[in-house]
Amino acid sequence: MEAKAKPLLTPGKMTKGQRRMRSLKDNAPFLLMIFPAVLVVFLFNYLPIYGVLIAFQDFMPGDKILSDTTIWVGFENFTRFFSDPQFWPLMKNTFLICIYGFIIGFPLPIIISLMLNSLKTRKTAKWLQTIFTAPHFISLVVLVGMLTLFFGRYGLVNNIVAHMGGERYSYFLESSAFRPMYILSSNWQDFGWSAVIYIAALSNVDPQQHEAAILDGATRFQRVIHVDLPAIMPMISVMLIMSIGGLMGVGYEKALLMQTDGNLAVSELISTYVYKRGLTGVPDQAYATAIGLFNSVINVVLLIIANTTSKRFSENSLW
Amino acid sequence: MSEVILKGLKKVYDNKVTAVHDVNLEIKDKEFIVLVGPSGCGKSTTLRMVAGLEEISDGELYIDGRLVNDVAPKDRDIAMVFQNYALYPHMTVYDNLAFALKLRKTPKADIKKKVLEVAEILDITQYLERKPKALSGGQRQRVAIGRAMVRDPKVFLMDEPLSNLDAKLRNQMRAEIIKLRSRIDTTFMYVTHDQTEAMTLGDRIVIMKDGYVNQIGTPQEVFNRPVNLFVAGFIGMPVMNFFDNCKLLEEGGVFYAEIRGVRFKLSEFQQKALRKNGVKPCDIIAGIRPQHVTVGEGELKATIEVSEMMGSEYNIHARCEGDEVVMLIPTVDLTTDVSMGKTVNFTTRPDLIQLFDKETSNNLIWYDEESAKKDAPVCKSYDF
Amino acid sequence: MTTKPLKRKNALRDTVGDKVFYAINGFFLALVALIILYPLYFIIIAAISDPDAVLAGEVVLAPVRITFDGFAKIMQRSDVWRGYLNTIIYTALTVVLSLIVTIPAGWALSRKTLPGKKLFMIYFIIPMFFGGGLIPFYNVMSSLGLINTMWAVILPSILSVWNLFMTKTFFESSIPNGLIEAAKIDGAGQFRIFASVVIPLSKAVIAVMALYYAVGQWNSYFNAMIFLQDERMYPLQLVLKEILIASESTVGGSGETILQQYRLANQLKYVSVIVSSLPVLCLYPFVQKYFAQGVMIGSLKE
Repeated sequence: MEAKAKPLLTPGKMTKGQRRMRSLKDNAPFLLMIFPAVLVVFLFNYLPIYGVLIAFQDFMPGDKILSDTTIWVGFENFTRFFSDPQFWPLMKNTFLICIYGFIIGFPLPIIISLMLNSLKTRKTAKWLQTIFTAPHFISLVVLVGMLTLFFGRYGLVNNIVAHMGGERYSYFLESSAFRPMYILSSNWQDFGWSAVIYIAALSNVDPQQHEAAILDGATRFQRVIHVDLPAIMPMISVMLIMSIGGLMGVGYEKALLMQTDGNLAVSELISTYVYKRGLTGVPDQAYATAIGLFNSVINVVLLIIANTTSKRFSENSLW
Repeated sequence: MSEVILKGLKKVYDNKVTAVHDVNLEIKDKEFIVLVGPSGCGKSTTLRMVAGLEEISDGELYIDGRLVNDVAPKDRDIAMVFQNYALYPHMTVYDNLAFALKLRKTPKADIKKKVLEVAEILDITQYLERKPKALSGGQRQRVAIGRAMVRDPKVFLMDEPLSNLDAKLRNQMRAEIIKLRSRIDTTFMYVTHDQTEAMTLGDRIVIMKDGYVNQIGTPQEVFNRPVNLFVAGFIGMPVMNFFDNCKLLEEGGVFYAEIRGVRFKLSEFQQKALRKNGVKPCDIIAGIRPQHVTVGEGELKATIEVSEMMGSEYNIHARCEGDEVVMLIPTVDLTTDVSMGKTVNFTTRPDLIQLFDKETSNNLIWYDEESAKKDAPVCKSYDF
Repeated sequence: MTTKPLKRKNALRDTVGDKVFYAINGFFLALVALIILYPLYFIIIAAISDPDAVLAGEVVLAPVRITFDGFAKIMQRSDVWRGYLNTIIYTALTVVLSLIVTIPAGWALSRKTLPGKKLFMIYFIIPMFFGGGLIPFYNVMSSLGLINTMWAVILPSILSVWNLFMTKTFFESSIPNGLIEAAKIDGAGQFRIFASVVIPLSKAVIAVMALYYAVGQWNSYFNAMIFLQDERMYPLQLVLKEILIASESTVGGSGETILQQYRLANQLKYVSVIVSSLPVLCLYPFVQKYFAQGVMIGSLKE
């Protein structure tokens, strides 16, 4: 072995500045690794955020967002929306579909996960879980297609009704059927998927806790209430915060597919209205953007309120 | 030649917490040095600074005469064995051993030769094609050591390499490390929290607490001449007996230690050392190792609470005026009845009594003013 | 002390109350399973039954007069197969690009030494809670010149910030720090560590991400609907949308012609639901453990 072979490339001891430079050089590869993600987020998330400026402008498609000819109109687009005859119906439709969805969709996965966890055999639970999560992977188009095949004029329900001598009756043209169909089909599709996170948390409960409870004389049901439920409580809080943050945040994808002339009175939501005013017919982009912005601000405010409240009353919060 | 010199090494974290204060240590070529101390004492941090995994906040680090404070780990000519082995789980044992050499662009034939040679020494040749998952804890440990060996490092760093093994395997691997050392003949720096490992492996032991070095010395030195209460309590099994509220007396130019009202006239050597250190009579904590207790004579009295027959010796827990006293009494020639509930007389040789200043907790005889850290916190409790 | 779960048979005898509990629990879960499975089952039996029987409400529990006409018909629909091919292309490209973007970025974000880590975190968190909305997004795509190109469908889908954070959490919790330090001492640089140590140990998260992105792209229709004008570029879902959701209207005559139309249209619908969902649903049982793994990765607190 040659003892003092290679000369030092770096000085043995560095000044603070040199150190910082070297640390930067050592870690520069990370910057390269993160760069594509930064670029993608910049293009598809931040540029649109910059684009909301048109909500405060008199904007025609093709205009530059910032130029000498930009006409600023302040909050005019917003006030226009507030006096739009559609304003209250939109708010109501959006809120109602979210709140009904929440009332049914929030507890359901919790109950299902507790029930699955109470099964005696792990294997059955695994099988049921596989079945319950399957619909999550059905696309929205197919899901709504299936709805028409069951509840449309010539769907299963009507076929049976007709078979028994009744009148065919399309649930898709009926305002009153829209919300139940929307919410129940959403739950049919996603309750199993939403339960997975609780099931994961439940599987981490120490079996000795259950054994201790059995020795204390607890019934299986009491153990669900006093052992299992407390174990997923933190998860429930986080989910609750997120759900409250989404109480006005229903998207357009599914509603658009389910809309018909007949149910428009309840199926027109803020998000679908934004789509229609902004991208179809004679587009009024500035107006549609203002409505969308109004909606996102509501969502952020709801989320902050939910998080702050949760922070005050428990130790669970998102941030 | 590959000595390692730590000069005033210091580690301050971003949150202003100082993990290591001013460590000075000269490790001689081919020396086996063990850093030992309770968790959080800074021993691992010190090792990681030598490895280059932790930035050095202040001070200087020389390896083989080269200042390497800011040299990248791979250029320091060191190798390290990690606590949980850190083997690459997706590579075979062969690839694990060869990885470092491949990265250095060593010719393939040389890599093979070196890996086989090391595998031979460690007796893992038959596992070379296996993945780490298929190995037992002891085998993984060997691979981890082998990975360090293939590189012929100047300094061999080991961070609690045995702490993940069960007691039996640990003893076995400890013996193997001693054997290994005679074969690879390089400088070792070894971190552990286990004093037995430290005593059996180290040429010298560095005892650390709260980021300060308390004592550096050979196993005999730290056992026989602990510089303070902490070292005395940390080194040695069972733990040294401490008697609080004792007195150091001087009568007619002669020093006595008074333990529970019984006077011990200190030995000539102790007298001299006390005079040299300029010690005045004061309150002390007296320390007596369980191995140094004799029963059946003397004036100290203790009631036996637990008496365990261990074969060649009795392990006795007794109570002496509120203090628990542990005694290790050889069974040979034992004439006193040491069954439970009995009250026995006991004593020790005065020259084996350790005297600690109650104020500073330093050893009055062996305390070395030079190496003492003025700002190190005083360790007053011996309850750890 | 035993840490074994209380699976030992008959370790404890159930009380009567517990027996009732188990019975009720089992009954309801079976009911739920039925509610999930029946619609899927019905689609299958309806697809292979005589359309007249379906329309007459005779097909409820078992297929009636089995026929594979519907499948023969869909084989002739070139738009369906072109959609299929397009979707496969879009999905494959999305998966490849998304992995290239997500995995390295997740690794970088999980490192404490990433320069400016805090800023990057904030940069990625903001879009999770606030976005520009549909119209500005459309305008950006338009000014990037992506309208009516397949990149309009692919590029916006190649990074989900949720997935990025999931990947980051995986790396933080599953790659032992000691391994990275060992590699450093062995002389590996950052790229080498990533390629030779991190990637081989991350098969699980790579699989999960690939599946998430693939299913997302396979099932999406909206971006294609607003950005693609050329029908030959339509992905499967958009073609399906036209087949499945030809909107019901209040107007239109009654009687035989309409009924005849629906008879045939519905058969095609049943078949197309099966044909389009088949790949995902067939793959699903095999990959579901990875999906569940993903959820669990995400559930770990940062």
